[in-house]
Amino acid sequence: MTAVLQVSNLRKTFGGITAVDGVSFEVRDGEILGIIGPNGSGKSTLFNCVLGQLLPTGGQVHVDGKPTTGMRPCDLNRLGVSRTFQLLQVFPQLSVRDNLIVAGQEHQGSMYTRLFGRADAGLGDAADRMIEFFRLSHLADEQAGSLSYGQQKLLDAAMAFMAGPRLVLLDEPAGGVNLTMLANLRERLQAYHSEHKATFVVIEHQMEFVMALCTRVLVLAEGRIIAGGAPQEIRSNPAVIDAYLGHGSARP
Amino acid sequence: MNRLGIIVVGAAVIFAIAVPFFLKPFGIYLISMWAVLTIAAMGLNLTLGYAGQISLAQGAFVGIGAYTTALLIQAGWPYPIVFISAGLLCFAIGWGLGYPALRVQHHYLAFVTLAFTTLVFLVLRNEEWLTRGIYGISGIARPTLLGWSTANARDFYFFCLGALTVIAAATWWMLRSPWGRAFIALRENPIRALSLGLDTRRYTLMAFAIGSGLAGLSGALYAPLVQFIEPNSFALGLSFNLLLMVIVGGGGCFFGPFVGALVAVLLPEWMRITQSYYLMVYAAIVMLLLAFCPSGLLGLIERVIKATRGRRGPDGIAPNAERANP
Repeated sequence: MTAVLQVSNLRKTFGGITAVDGVSFEVRDGEILGIIGPNGSGKSTLFNCVLGQLLPTGGQVHVDGKPTTGMRPCDLNRLGVSRTFQLLQVFPQLSVRDNLIVAGQEHQGSMYTRLFGRADAGLGDAADRMIEFFRLSHLADEQAGSLSYGQQKLLDAAMAFMAGPRLVLLDEPAGGVNLTMLANLRERLQAYHSEHKATFVVIEHQMEFVMALCTRVLVLAEGRIIAGGAPQEIRSNPAVIDAYLGHGSARP
Repeated sequence: MNRLGIIVVGAAVIFAIAVPFFLKPFGIYLISMWAVLTIAAMGLNLTLGYAGQISLAQGAFVGIGAYTTALLIQAGWPYPIVFISAGLLCFAIGWGLGYPALRVQHHYLAFVTLAFTTLVFLVLRNEEWLTRGIYGISGIARPTLLGWSTANARDFYFFCLGALTVIAAATWWMLRSPWGRAFIALRENPIRALSLGLDTRRYTLMAFAIGSGLAGLSGALYAPLVQFIEPNSFALGLSFNLLLMVIVGGGGCFFGPFVGALVAVLLPEWMRITQSYYLMVYAAIVMLLLAFCPSGLLGLIERVIKATRGRRGPDGIAPNAERANP
């Protein structure tokens, strides 16, 4: 199977602090890879280095075999790599539909053909389908800033899917979402995954969410990968329990 | 635009066409100045209101446009080519001034653009071989277009109004295109915009360049309107005044600059009845307006409309739910 994303020996230091310390892994086509780890273990820094938001100190990143280390996020996105952020990142003063159109429009033609093309960049129908898929139809014309937190979280995820990406990196999708919305979000992500054969990488704290969603899990601690495998194996791995779940964990 | 909006805009257009027939020459001069400065304010609204890049250089670009126009007219160039040249020159310089905006934001960017304005002022004042320094350039002829002489005040007003209409239509159309959406995304969340494939560098430069280009076109009308230009007209005061127009009208609202320019051009004149206190009264009114309505006059109107609709509650959305981050 081909590796959609290949990270080799990635390092990132901030002054004297090593946030990511020689991390290597592959993401295979069609899988949902979870990356877990305690706060400060380097998960978000790893994401930011992979996605061009930060320039790594060392190591390489390849997407579909193409070297992408240090590529600008907008160019990487046009290669089909999309992401969500830990904190909500919608455009509050645009409508829900415009949030989705803006998330896909840069993939339509060039900047100059878009100026003379259709106002919705030909994405109106695609946006409406995405809105329907995430069950936000009744809110399509509302300003995104007026939506509830959970609804914005759904919109945030929908925006990452709008351009039909090859690979989606989700940074704590479950953060701050209540249980009902969480089940809804997970179910929608799974439905999208099976419908579009997409490949996901998910950073998450919420263990139940990761265990239910992911097909494979990596555990990061102090900037290194300390374990990897199927969710069930990870749950019973003593090194993981020690580093992440803690001795007092009562989880079965 | 909804039906109410079309009625209001239609009434405003009829008013703008009819009003010069009831005004004395000075009144016509003022409304011409309104049309000219609205174009520059519309440019700044694009840069600041839509794309979120603060600029205190808009007045300097009006100056560059005005001087370009004055010099080229006196060199005998035909006016249409002069008009376009002034816009293109400012577009190019504006693109260059956009580069600092890629590195610094907010008040740092304000200072960069403020320094640029000072630089332009010094060039206009000191480079006498080109600009004639503090003596200024006088006797700038108004154009004759296809046999229509605009030398008369009312004719020149109609020429300015026509230019404003064409430029406003083009700007409206651009803001409705994917570019308008991209500019707002750039203002609201540049990091997310970048991660969604928006080339934020290019959009930032473009926002500066187009905004400056509109200021250049405004300058190309300014020079033949006042017929005498000198460096002081384009010092910081004009840039601040244009910024005031955008903010008072409502930044990021398409019609904001029209309303803001009306306030900034007419209010000081009406305040003249208060004699020497007029600037103080004017300043106090502006302060009160911004304290109670930071989203500008159009923001205030929008809020009133939404509040009355919200009370009727057709879609069940609470009226205070909009503008999550004003």
